[in-house]
Amino acid sequence: MNLIFRFLFELQEMSLLAARAVAGLVRKPRYLPETIAQMDYVGVGSLTIIVLTGFFTGGVLTLQTYQTLASYGAVDQLGYLVSISLVRELGPVLSALMVTGRVVSAISAELGSMVVSEQIDAMRALGTDPIRKLVAPRITALVITLPLLTLITDVMGMVGGWTVSTFLFGLPSSMFINSVKDGITSDDIIGGIIKPLFFAFLMGTIACHKGLKTEGGTVGVGRSTTSAVVMASIIVIIADFILARGLQLILGTQV
Amino acid sequence: MMTQAAIDQTIDNRVSESAAESTFREVDDTDRAIPAIEFRNVTMIFDGRKILNDLSFKVMKGETKIILGGSGCGKSTTIKLVLGLLKPDSGSILLDGEDITDYNEGQMMRVRKKLGMIFQEGALFDSLSVYENVAFKLHEQGVPEEEVEGEVRRMLRFVNLEDAIEKMPAELSGGMRRRVGIARALVGDPKIVLFDEPTAGLDPPTARTICELAMKLRDLEDVSSIFVTHEMNNVEYLTSEYAVVNEAGEVVFEKEGEKLCLINSKVLMMREGKIIFSGTDETLRKAEDPYIHRFLRGH
Repeated sequence: MNLIFRFLFELQEMSLLAARAVAGLVRKPRYLPETIAQMDYVGVGSLTIIVLTGFFTGGVLTLQTYQTLASYGAVDQLGYLVSISLVRELGPVLSALMVTGRVVSAISAELGSMVVSEQIDAMRALGTDPIRKLVAPRITALVITLPLLTLITDVMGMVGGWTVSTFLFGLPSSMFINSVKDGITSDDIIGGIIKPLFFAFLMGTIACHKGLKTEGGTVGVGRSTTSAVVMASIIVIIADFILARGLQLILGTQV
Repeated sequence: MMTQAAIDQTIDNRVSESAAESTFREVDDTDRAIPAIEFRNVTMIFDGRKILNDLSFKVMKGETKIILGGSGCGKSTTIKLVLGLLKPDSGSILLDGEDITDYNEGQMMRVRKKLGMIFQEGALFDSLSVYENVAFKLHEQGVPEEEVEGEVRRMLRFVNLEDAIEKMPAELSGGMRRRVGIARALVGDPKIVLFDEPTAGLDPPTARTICELAMKLRDLEDVSSIFVTHEMNNVEYLTSEYAVVNEAGEVVFEKEGEKLCLINSKVLMMREGKIIFSGTDETLRKAEDPYIHRFLRGH
């Protein structure tokens, strides 16, 4: 019972934080420079890991599925299989998980350190709302940049798949490209962009909530950072399932 | 028969009201009769434990209230309540006669503009330079940069740290961090300043410098303040010395003598969330409470 109560209490706290952050976006001051700085940190700063993750995921997907497709004589579907897996599932989820590891941990640790060194209290004492100054720009930056990072993961994954199919298996380059072009629909792409919007909002809210609720000095910072990464990762995977089913129903995509 | 709390309250009221009356006669300013800070039966419970137990006291305009007590007695909680960073479970808190007890965060943002708070470790923003830290409030208010720089330099001169304007907090010593914290808190000339153990962990000369800044604010700027500490030398400085400007225009500190007795600094001693003493430093030293004796002796 205590566990359920704590879960509901935390859910309420996170909902209130998210609501206040969103409300803060429509009122002045809007902290545009802070949002741009965060976008640079989240987006530009994550490019390397996103490019590498996308490229090698697409490559390994091609590597693993080639033999199976070859045994059914469906090698011409290789590009379709790789791209659909990437655009619908792997791209959004892997990007979210990679950004969780890099950004959610950093946000939680930064805000947690600010709490234990009384910087958050100092900010409030100086008449500034930390939710508008710190939380809203971080969530906004994640919501804007994660879909873009996901697109980059998707594209790099396809490049990785094409590289393996062309240079390792010696398939014609046009076979992979045509298979991708014929297989992918606009609904797949829309679905692949909607998912990271939700993921980013959830990840940002969890990171900021855990950071701002840090207690117990520097040990507490470590605890809240771990807790933020674990919770955000699990929530991304659970939300992915719920969103996948929801998008199937709304967009009418194939199960 | 009166309870100890009632006696303390009576002492506190009598001293503060008489101070207010005398000031009222001299300056003819009715506003001065209204306490800058007033706690009325404030109780705060955390995890089933009473952190503050029926706390009542007043800080008059231009007065420094030194809150003494051991660790965990509720000193820091008291000033966080003044700032609205925490909310009491019962009782009321008034600032300049305005009841702020049930104010929401938005209303408190307005109230906090007339308050300055100096945190234990300075609480400087690590990612901002000294200049940006001190200018934080002005930048948030959208003040033009030329005005900001003038004000920041004025505040840093007040704490003797103008040379450190370009430095980052990590480059500063503990004492310098506290002084930058003081400069940041004083932007906008707040009439109420709260010190949360500003000298904890500092060497004696630096601690003395911090106390001198508090005295300058009290005696030259007419600031009301709460000075939370557990160090007796802070009490000694604040209750026996005062700041004046000499003929050369320099600020000097003089000791109260037989002809002059400082009445604008009072001591409030807390233990386990309760006030166990309220009055002047002279009466504190004559108190018969064994805990106070142990506290004053240091063993």
